[in-house]
Amino acid sequence: MKATTEAIYLPLVLFTVILFGGIRVADRIVFAPPPLFTLVLGVMLFGVLVRGQVFAPDRLMNSSRSPISNLNGLVVVLATFFAATQAFNLVIPEAGLPFVLFNVFLFVLLLNTMAGSHDRLSVLRSLAVVTGAAFVLKFVVLAALSEPGDSTLKRVLQTMLEGVTLGTLTQPVLHRASGYLAFFTLVLFMVGLAMLPGPTHVKLVPADRSRIVALIESDE
Amino acid sequence: MQDRSIRVFGLVLSICYATGILWLYIRQPQTVAEVTGGLAASVGAYRIDQRAFDDGLALFHRDELEASRAAFERADPAGRDALTQFYIAYSYYRSGWGRLYQDDVYFKQGLERADKAIELAPDGRLIVDDRRLGMHSADELRAELAQGLRTEVSDFNPMRVFGTRK
Repeated sequence: MKATTEAIYLPLVLFTVILFGGIRVADRIVFAPPPLFTLVLGVMLFGVLVRGQVFAPDRLMNSSRSPISNLNGLVVVLATFFAATQAFNLVIPEAGLPFVLFNVFLFVLLLNTMAGSHDRLSVLRSLAVVTGAAFVLKFVVLAALSEPGDSTLKRVLQTMLEGVTLGTLTQPVLHRASGYLAFFTLVLFMVGLAMLPGPTHVKLVPADRSRIVALIESDE
Repeated sequence: MQDRSIRVFGLVLSICYATGILWLYIRQPQTVAEVTGGLAASVGAYRIDQRAFDDGLALFHRDELEASRAAFERADPAGRDALTQFYIAYSYYRSGWGRLYQDDVYFKQGLERADKAIELAPDGRLIVDDRRLGMHSADELRAELAQGLRTEVSDFNPMRVFGTRK
């Protein structure tokens, strides 16, 4: 990995995700810190990234590297964890029943991804689907249900829905800019994940392979 | 050598960016003026617009409270000056005070500003030497605003119509 990517571009991308992940635009701008459970989800995602060969922390921090390189590596490791936390903070609804359900579903989905995906591409694809689906549910479906109705029919349906769900479904109304900002942040997060260094694989040409086989056979 | 310079630069940049993010999440600024003012205040370089403050004070003592608030806001756009925040809180108190009832909307806004003034004052202690005021400390003002927001038995005392605005 190039020094500029590791020391500048990757931290910039991940820190931007950390910054934008908590911004909520309503009648005022709020910088929402991550709820406690998103830290758990962040740890799980970190595990998924390492197991799924998306991220190899040992390539960023090891004894053969200089102290300053290791510090750059530490920044990337920490930024990856906090960016994951903020990405979840972004897509999880603010309150009520959806908050609990999203936490449970994301927990189960991450466990599933951890158990099922073992190559870089499928893990990245799976994470894009998980975050994308959560984004659609929060910023499209739940936002539409929580938005104040402009027609009488919509207002009646919303009141009925609130009555049926005892008010646990509707969410605080966010400004439209929140959705666009969230989309940009999630795209940036996926770009950041794709930029992370994975484990190195040594590819052998046929001549090397036959030489190694011959060496092993001569040893035996 | 170039590789090392890039790494050092990247590290410094990351530390600055992380510090900035942490600051934003703690301070929760609402406007660009609050961001720049907050940063200036953190290095001790923040100054209010003294002329706007004097205008605000003159308007406040003439009981033109809304106009005084506009001038005070102009004087302290970042909301980093304890004295200006005290006067804004005081103007909300006077706007909301009534013989029969207190206006909760004004009192809530006043309480927010009084809290801010206390937070900004050194050691949380703010004494204002202004003879024309009925309350001289931020703590007194805060207590008065908080009391106005509570519903108590004394609120129904008919004698309160003879009370005076401080």
